[in-house]
Amino acid sequence: MLLSTLHLSNMRNYAQLELEPAAGLNLFVGRNAQGKSNLLEAISLLGTGKSFRTSREKDLIRDGFEIASISGEAHVRAGTVRLGCTVTATPRGTRKMYAVNGRGVRYAKFLGSLRVVTFVPADLQLVSGAPAGRRSFLNSALAQEQKTYYHELARYQKALMQKSALLRGDAEPDADLLAIYNETLVEAGTELMLARDQIVRALSESAAMVHAGWTGGAERLQIAYVPNVPFEVPAQDAIAGAFAAKLRALAQQERARRTTLVGPHRDDVDLQLDGHSLAAYGSQGQQRTAVLALKVAEYSVMLERSGEAPLLLLDDVLSELDPGRAQAFLSGVGGFEQAFITATHLPEGLSQARVWSIDAAQVRPA
Amino acid sequence: MPTSSGSIAGPVQALINEFSKLPTIGPKTAARLVFYLLNRPRNEAQSLAEAILAVKDRVRLCSICFSITEEDPCAICSDERRDARTLCVVAEAKDIFALERTSAYKGRYHVLGGVISPMDGIGPAQLRVKELVDRIGSEHPHEIVIATNPNAEGEATALYLSRLITPLGVSVTRLAYGLPIGGDLDYADEVTLAKAIEGRRAL
Repeated sequence: MLLSTLHLSNMRNYAQLELEPAAGLNLFVGRNAQGKSNLLEAISLLGTGKSFRTSREKDLIRDGFEIASISGEAHVRAGTVRLGCTVTATPRGTRKMYAVNGRGVRYAKFLGSLRVVTFVPADLQLVSGAPAGRRSFLNSALAQEQKTYYHELARYQKALMQKSALLRGDAEPDADLLAIYNETLVEAGTELMLARDQIVRALSESAAMVHAGWTGGAERLQIAYVPNVPFEVPAQDAIAGAFAAKLRALAQQERARRTTLVGPHRDDVDLQLDGHSLAAYGSQGQQRTAVLALKVAEYSVMLERSGEAPLLLLDDVLSELDPGRAQAFLSGVGGFEQAFITATHLPEGLSQARVWSIDAAQVRPA
Repeated sequence: MPTSSGSIAGPVQALINEFSKLPTIGPKTAARLVFYLLNRPRNEAQSLAEAILAVKDRVRLCSICFSITEEDPCAICSDERRDARTLCVVAEAKDIFALERTSAYKGRYHVLGGVISPMDGIGPAQLRVKELVDRIGSEHPHEIVIATNPNAEGEATALYLSRLITPLGVSVTRLAYGLPIGGDLDYADEVTLAKAIEGRRAL
């Protein structure tokens, strides 16, 4: 995939920007707070429809304005596609609208036209951080790839919120209603678990290979899916059965503690080195290498499954890595069609890059 | 266009504020409406004000189906030609207007007054569910058509009602999901298309 044009209007610190990125490597160099991350955020937004930095979408709109707009044209296998997203501030909160080829579409339809793999400094905490970070890593990879995944995820989250509200309510929860929400959770949750199980297997295989190449095979990296509802075989019936059984077993406890205890919203992913949990036993260096391998794997799996290379967005991560690791990462994703990298200094050893300088929201070829 | 107070005359700002409270109307549209009205003759403003009050004063709920009406019972409930054996359950009275425009439905209605959503503090007790069960007991319909929206809350409400009503020996049906007429398969979203495949029927 290739982003051929990018147009920003009143987005973050950009008043107006017209950019024609090059194929291959685009390197954006500039001091801090000049708009480097904002540019990557905009590109990522065209892929995922969401910001990778904030849930406060009002922040996307330039100070003093009411509408931010981000649009671009991408070359994908199916042809050329024009993508647009506007964020509007209203008295009732912000509203986002999406368009594909000039036609207004819903989020679910917008998602995944342009695929991106994003790597930001916060991702370096992926191994040692809270499980929520690992779940959202899986969700964002899967939602870009499969429209049905996003649909099931939204359905699951809605039913989960309703069920929690029911459990937290003043009155004794209505048993029929609880059963209805549980049925939806099992239906949608089973699909989530199946998809997660599959992608984690693929990620594990791919990451292990990359990792072995880097470390000379001295240590073996393994990524394991740790579902909240354990299952024997990754088949729909088996998972749904196990899920329903665990819900029944913990029904009393859920009522007593007035909270939901069962389901993929409590899943986790465990990264292990030679069978030992990296989060618990790994050094910081080992954890970082594992995250790099995981990110390369995310890229490779997306490429392999869709047959199209996603855009690669690296926000200021090269400076967080020692030169050896940075080089290893870039050669790991060697097959990229287009990458966007931000840095405060021109990194060494990045040949054949189109270099852009960013200064106070002005982007110029350097 | 000025949207906040300060230099604007008090009554103008007051009306802008009132209009802004209405759904889909923001401060800019509200200001536009107010300046439009300022330029119209007094009798137009008068009839608008009267129409608004009449809605509040003269419209009430039908004691049978809980739709909005001027006469109780409403025109549909008192129409002998309507099929009393079929009862269509809708969330809001406005859904009846949508269904009536089709002229395809000849039965009667029951308005729930919302959908089940514990997040918003709405459970079966906040809706006219008991009234529905009472009607089934006294009117003995053969079929209940559940016409709540095909979204999460509408679905949960439909499932809840189905669990409640089926044991009473009444057949419970749900509006079909499917493709828009005159549409293009290409443009249908995956989820709707998948539902349409599930709900396919013999020709």
